[in-house]
Amino acid sequence: MTPSRTRRALDRYSVLFGIAMLAAVLGNPISSVLSSLAEADPAAMGTGMALITLVLAGFLATARARGPVAVSAADASWRLLSPLPRASVLGRTARVLATVAVVAGIALGVALLAVLGAPDHLTWRLLTAVAIGVSLTVGGLAVAVLAQAEQQWNSWLNITLVVLVLLAAVSAGGQGRRVLSTVAAAPPSAGAVVAAVAATAAALLVRQAWSAITRMPARLILAASTRTGNAATAAVSLDPGSLTWIAEDNHWRSRTLKSKPWPRLPAPLALAWQDWRRLAARPALLGLMAGSVALPTLFAQAGAGMVAVLAGALAVAAMGVSGARRDAGNPAMAYLLGVDRRTALAARALLPALLSTLWLGAALVLLSAAGALPGGPWWLFAPAVAPALAAAALRIARRSPVDHAMPVIDTPGGAVPTGPLFWAMTGVDLALVGCAPFVLALVAEPATLTAALVAQAALGAATLGGYLARAR
Amino acid sequence: MTEPIIRVRGLTVEFAGNPVLTGVDLAVAPGEAVAVVGENGTGKSTLLRCLAGLQTATSGTVDVFGAPPADDPPFWRQVALVADEPAWYPGLTTRDHLDMIQTIHPGKSEDSPAPSFTGASGGHDVDTMLEAFGLRDRGDVAPLNLSTGQRQRLTLASAFLRPSRLLLLDEPERGLDAAFRRRLHSMLDAYTTAGGTVVMATHDHTLAAPSTRRITLDAAR
Repeated sequence: MTPSRTRRALDRYSVLFGIAMLAAVLGNPISSVLSSLAEADPAAMGTGMALITLVLAGFLATARARGPVAVSAADASWRLLSPLPRASVLGRTARVLATVAVVAGIALGVALLAVLGAPDHLTWRLLTAVAIGVSLTVGGLAVAVLAQAEQQWNSWLNITLVVLVLLAAVSAGGQGRRVLSTVAAAPPSAGAVVAAVAATAAALLVRQAWSAITRMPARLILAASTRTGNAATAAVSLDPGSLTWIAEDNHWRSRTLKSKPWPRLPAPLALAWQDWRRLAARPALLGLMAGSVALPTLFAQAGAGMVAVLAGALAVAAMGVSGARRDAGNPAMAYLLGVDRRTALAARALLPALLSTLWLGAALVLLSAAGALPGGPWWLFAPAVAPALAAAALRIARRSPVDHAMPVIDTPGGAVPTGPLFWAMTGVDLALVGCAPFVLALVAEPATLTAALVAQAALGAATLGGYLARAR
Repeated sequence: MTEPIIRVRGLTVEFAGNPVLTGVDLAVAPGEAVAVVGENGTGKSTLLRCLAGLQTATSGTVDVFGAPPADDPPFWRQVALVADEPAWYPGLTTRDHLDMIQTIHPGKSEDSPAPSFTGASGGHDVDTMLEAFGLRDRGDVAPLNLSTGQRQRLTLASAFLRPSRLLLLDEPERGLDAAFRRRLHSMLDAYTTAGGTVVMATHDHTLAAPSTRRITLDAAR
């Protein structure tokens, strides 16, 4: 055997040995987890299906945002613009896409089984669910590839996304509960037929997508590669913060803009005005924010309402701090503008405070209406919490890149790099501290909310004041 | 004799023990234009960063307007720095950026009229700026969709639009065509004639013209 062949054989042996070891170690835990999935909670079926549908929609939207057909910067420079057949240049990309789709599909299938349950024939139903899940993700990714090449398919992808969101809304609303119960109780043979149809449809789409890949114009792949390349650079350097920056640039670069006179405001407000204008120019994002108000009520059914309400309010607040993010990442424009940093930040806190007030207020009203919260004016917490959330959103926007020089701590569960951990917690820490009375009230559910409201209003204002005073 | 607006004495800057600038002395009078020239790596940009208060000196002193440069709003209201390309705000057009800058710096104080690129001491409206910097047809375009040279023009327009008494320019010729470099030289001439001061690091012979004092930096040892 030649040395390279020996090495290849050794590589294969290592991979097979690794898989066998994994199966031996994880076999029992996985089978017990899968057995526990057999029992589904009929009350949570609608919520679960809504979440699965939203995850699938998110998967497809991400695939489209990424390209999905893109190549590395080196391939884009050297191999794409060459006489090499496109199929060979893009072969690796296709394999990566297929792997991602299959892995996502398996996870989706298992989640599907967890939601619908398996009253009998667990193995058979698991295989059916996985087959359906893989067909959905592989077929969906094939549609995303076709959408990259042809406008007509792009329209179909848009329709698919809208249908998925509507299905999620229907499932969450409980209207589809009877249908879901019928599906869950259907015999395994019916599931097999659905899986077979889905797999056939996915196979046809994959065939068409592969044909599109081999004919895809270089300009489309180059455009996607630039997007993915920037994102990959950010991921390689483990600076997730720049991903937001890249996403913003990509969004606005492809849009037709129209100048409007700048309102005559005092300097800090004139600077902060750009965030208001930018958000007003994104009705879809505003619609998404408005729609997501119902998510905490949805998550409350799964026992995660408190986390959803806080995370959602912080996420919404973070939608209004682009200007602060830009100036923190590259202060050249801030030097040119010469506006006092603290007053600029104070002016920039107004929008995230307003956004979180509106969102949290509406979410708390819905939670109260759904009976997930005891009686009382819970919505009053929204304005009380808003300053703390605005400070936290500004802290998130202005955080430094991940510090990889920070130590890695060995724990029984494995090595934990503290750099990314600290980075991820920057901003969230301020939200947790600044919203403590609200969180405690959510946990303790006191008979009267007055004390908690007063404490929250004081702490919220102090959090923002302290953040602005310490801002550098 | 006029008191210098910038005074640098024995400026030394080291990065991780490697000298970048060694014992640099410089005095710049109001209304003067100084071109800092030299090979790559001789510390031209570092000198500008020291003047802007963005780089701490290892030794020596730097005074701008009679005090060490402070990275604070009063300092930046007098000093305009054009170095790396700024981060353009997403969703804002070329005109929006200029409009915003003008709103933040409305007019120019009657008590201390700031010099402008036309030599006059009055402010300029956004249309005049777009016209003067060859961006009239690009007003509704996002800066990221402009060419490299057009973005540099926009950066320069942003610096000239706001009032300043000192312009610090790091390779302002970056991406500019020959005709606009000549125009930029005239603008800088007008700015200094009106009392403004310019210090620029440049490799461009047009900008480092005879009317401009040249300071040549050599590689630090």
